[in-house]
Parts: sequence; C-alpha cells; structure tokens
Amino acid sequence: MKNKLFEKYFVFSPYFWLVIFFFIPLAIIFKISISVSEWGMPPYQDIFLFDNGFKINTTFENYVYIFSDYYYIGSFINSLILALISTIFCLLIGFPLAFYIATSNIRLRNILLVLVVIPFWSSFLLRVYAWKIILQNNGILNVILLNLGITSEPLQLLYNQYAVIMGIVYTYLPLMILPLYGYLNKFDLNLIEASKDLGLNRFKTFFKVILPLSVPGIVAGSLLVFIPVVGEFIIPEMLGGSDRLYYGKILWEEFFVNRNWPGASALAFSGIIILVLPIVIFQILYSRWSQKNEI
Amino acid sequence: MDNNFLVIENISKSFGDNKVLENINLNISKSEFFGLLGSSGSGKTTLLRILGGFEKPDTGRVILDGTDITNLEPFDRPLNYMFQSYALFPHLNVFNNLAFGIKENFTQKEIEINVRDIAKLLSIEHLLNRRIKQLSGGEQQRVALGRCLIKKPKLLLLDEPLAALDKKLRSKTQLELTTLQKKLKITFVFVTHDQEEAMSLSDRMAIMKNGLILECSSPEEIYENPKSLYTANFIGIANIIEIYKKDENFYSDDLGINFKLNKELKNTKTNILLRPEKIKIQSINDLKTSAFNSFSGEILEKSYLGSFTRYEIKINNMIISVLDQNFNSNSNYNFPKGEKVICSWESESIKVLED
Repeated sequence: MKNKLFEKYFVFSPYFWLVIFFFIPLAIIFKISISVSEWGMPPYQDIFLFDNGFKINTTFENYVYIFSDYYYIGSFINSLILALISTIFCLLIGFPLAFYIATSNIRLRNILLVLVVIPFWSSFLLRVYAWKIILQNNGILNVILLNLGITSEPLQLLYNQYAVIMGIVYTYLPLMILPLYGYLNKFDLNLIEASKDLGLNRFKTFFKVILPLSVPGIVAGSLLVFIPVVGEFIIPEMLGGSDRLYYGKILWEEFFVNRNWPGASALAFSGIIILVLPIVIFQILYSRWSQKNEI
Repeated sequence: MDNNFLVIENISKSFGDNKVLENINLNISKSEFFGLLGSSGSGKTTLLRILGGFEKPDTGRVILDGTDITNLEPFDRPLNYMFQSYALFPHLNVFNNLAFGIKENFTQKEIEINVRDIAKLLSIEHLLNRRIKQLSGGEQQRVALGRCLIKKPKLLLLDEPLAALDKKLRSKTQLELTTLQKKLKITFVFVTHDQEEAMSLSDRMAIMKNGLILECSSPEEIYENPKSLYTANFIGIANIIEIYKKDENFYSDDLGINFKLNKELKNTKTNILLRPEKIKIQSINDLKTSAFNSFSGEILEKSYLGSFTRYEIKINNMIISVLDQNFNSNSNYNFPKGEKVICSWESESIKVLED
C-alpha cells in the first residue's frame, strides 16, 4: 500500500518540480516587478504595508518604464532576431547531419551520436572561451589566414554579432540534432525509394516526402534552440561586442549594475510572457494540425 | 511474341565479400507474369531492386524494351516498383497517394480523371478521402498497386505482393492480380518465397538459390520435370529416392525394390523424384505386388485434408508420402493407420534428377 502511494506521487514529481522551480520563482519575479523601487536592501518596498492599517503598495511604473524606452524593447528584438537566425543555421546544419546519422548503419550511427554528445562532457564556459582563443586577433584562425596569405592583416573576427551567432550555433547544434535524429530514426526509407520510383528526383523527393514527414522533429529541435537563445547571456557577453545589445545582457545589467530589481523583474516577466504565450498558442494549433494530418 | 522485352544480362552483385548475385541471365517477354522464387538470401529481392534502380549491379546490363536502363536513376526508368511494406505516404490521403506520380505532368483535371479511373479499376473509389492509417492491409495493397499502375509503366516490379495479407484474402487477391495483369497487358515481375503463390501467379518462374538461377520455366514444367534436387524439394512435396544400376535394372537400397526407367541414364547412381499424388494406393488384398514400380508398406501416419488424404507409408528404411484423392464420401475408402497397403505408379511418373 505504501508503495502504491509512492508510485502515485512519483508520477506527479515533474509537476512538483515545475511548481517549485518555475511557477513559484515566476510569482516572486512578478511580485518584485510590481513593487516600488527604493534605495536599500532589498531595493524595493513591500507590496503589503501594515503600518497605518492595511495598504497594498503596488505600481506598474516599472512596466511603463521598460516599454517606453526603446533600449529595452530593441534589445529584446535583437535577441529574437539572433534566436531566429541561430535556429535557421542550426536547422540547415543539423538536418542533413541528423538525416545522415539516422540513415547510416548501426555502428557508424552510434559513433556519430557519441560525437554529437561529446561537447556536453566539457564545460560550456570553456568551450565558448576556446572560440575566443581561436577567433582573437592573434588567434589560430588569423595566424593560419596570415600565413596562407589570404589576408595581410588580422581580421576582426571576435566581438561582433557574427561571432555571437557562430558561438550559439556551435553550442546549440546538438539540441537541434538530437530531437531531429529521434524523429528521423523512425523514417521509413522505402518512402524515399517509392517517391523516386514514382518519378520525383532527389530535390523534389526532399520537399514532397522527407520534409513534410520531418515537421515534428523540426518543430521540437527549433523550439529547443530558439527559446533558450532568446535569453542567452554568456555567449553574447564573451564573444559579442558593443555593436548589438541583447536581452540577456540588459537584464543582467539592470539587475546587478543598476540594481533596479523591480525594473529587471518587469523586463524578465514581460520577456517570459511574450515568449511563452505565442509558443503555447503555437503548440495548441500545431497539435491540432498534426492530429488532423496524423503525422 | 517479343521475348526480349526485358533482358537481364550477366548481372552480378556483391555486398562486401558476400556474393549476392552471380551472372544472372534472363529474358522476359512482353505482358508476361514472371515470378522469382527463392528462400531468403537467394538474391531475388536484390535482383528486383537492381531492376528498380535502387541498387547498381557490379557487372552486366538491364535492357528494357530495347533501351539499356542499367545506369538510369529510379525516377528516369519507365517502370514502377511495389514495395513489400507498400511504402504509402502517411502524410497524404489515398487520392494524393494515387496522384503522387502524375502530379507533375498532368493538369488538375487530368489528375482527377486518372485517379478516378484507377480507383474504379481497383474498386477503391470509396476510399479516396481516407488517410493511409485508416485502411486495412488489403486496401493498402490496392492503393500501392494503383499508385504504380496510374503511371502506365512498361514493367511493374512487385516485392512479395501478397505477403502482408492474411491467407483468405491472399488467394482472392492472387486471382484478382492475374486477371488485372492479363487485362492491362503490363509485364509483371514479382518476388516471392511462397511456392504456391509463385505457381498460381506466374506464366513462367525462375527458381533462385545462393545468387544463382537454378531453373526457369513454366510452373507445370518446374513441378512435373524439375531438373535439380533443390527444385524438386522446394516445390511441392517430393519423394526423393536414391537408385543405382544393378544388372539390367535400377535398385533402391532404401526401398529394397527395383525400378524400371523408360530412359537411359548416364550415371550409375542417381536420384529420382516421385510426386506423392502420382502414387496409387490399394489394399493388399486387391493386388499382388509386382517386381517393378510398386511396393508394399505400412501406413505410419495419416492426415485427412478434405479433398485429399495424406499418408506417410513406411517401407524398409524409408518413409514415402502419398496423396490420395478422396473420390467418394465413403469413409471405408480411407486406409486406417497400421494397414498394409500396396503402392504403385506409372513408369512415366518417375523423374530423374540431374544433380
């Protein structure tokens, strides 16, 4: 009987996790975001005041503040564009790789899968730092280019948005490959042969058969890359320059440099709502579509 | 008839060290229903895939209607391939599966007409809006067939066309498939491991083993006059008896009797085939056993099969299978287990196997 009870609650453990580590922090952030800021520790006033009777002390000033300044909105848009571009690159690189892995023989497949996962075994920070060493002015890449005579002076490869995109694509590629592989793995290769047999060349077969049947994998991989990249802080911080500001960095500065906790919370909460709501709507529409089409 | 419609010339194929096909030569006529029969690993599917263009042969040529198609891609070949799994597109409905191969070259109206025609031919008009998952195995088979036939191919290749169907549906579909083929006059080449299926569908069939074609002939010829021991055993039930020359006659040690052959033999020792339905079985009281082409034995096993009764008859050191047709419903006609009987046959029924 005791075990039964355990089993029953064990099933719900992901929801406990979600409540404790997502909804409660989200509620705290929301609470701070509607507080009035002040100098002190913590740098905001309580929302419930009891000194002269009960009084609710909230404000939406923080939201007005971040939405009226293009500095914040612009950085969020920059992050969305960055996430979009990175997702597209991850997809363009990841899809052929995932397809190749899924269709190769079992021995090669396992080796390739391990190669995809291997980067996870070393520190994320170290890996990004390694790119810094490769791309810097006297780094390996510039040395090679100089010695080959392709360029006469070192190229500025680091500290710009291109370095950021490269770093993100490099880091997030496995998150695209693995769900795509998981889906393509089940792909019936006879369908490709059938399509060719019915007169469609490789190109048309890709667009008429392979692509439509890969939609679920593409959606899963793209969401897995897109969502975290919007809030990505470390890669733009280490590889990026001052040419573009991103949401993650603004958030960090607002919180730790400006010590504007209510403002930073308003920014974080808005970001989550703007990002999560469309995705939830998309997921509902998508699951209806895929049910209808039985993919 | 043009018996060089499909010419398979010196085709060999290896996967690594594994020789799958060795020097295959076949000529198939226009409008022929041709079967490739073999157990798994005989290379029959590889040969079909080479015809379909999914594998490239190491050596040799494939010529279809006078054109060398050996190096053509599948999408450039004027033929179609029906997969064992049917390989229907799960993201498309029946209509779009049928229309898949003609969408490019036809107008919307032509597509509509063609799909309706083929659906009518295969009696699947009521399924056009269904999704593939909503179809039964038999319905899927028709859609797969229709998807190929709508392209009006010169040659249709079928990989185990009936293997995925249950037994009752299979015999019905067999008949439909032959009728359809005769009506459309398209050349069909199919692969099967089921000898019954091969016999009932094929105009001619080839027996394959270890990448070689052992025999190629009509089902009747292959059943009645098999050349090799393998074929004799593979097709139908076979009593194989080893005989050797003794004085003027041939003698079997296993049966302990003499055989009279109406044919001269090169070897002094050979195998002969005696099909079980060629053996006549009689009560020991009715007949005296003669010196040639008959023996007396004891019924060891008996299984009643409806139209036939199958007996296993022990004689000396050997067990011989006999199929006895149940002419009348009188149960006395059947011999009980343990009964001594006399078996006899015509000299012509004995077939000498070459190897």
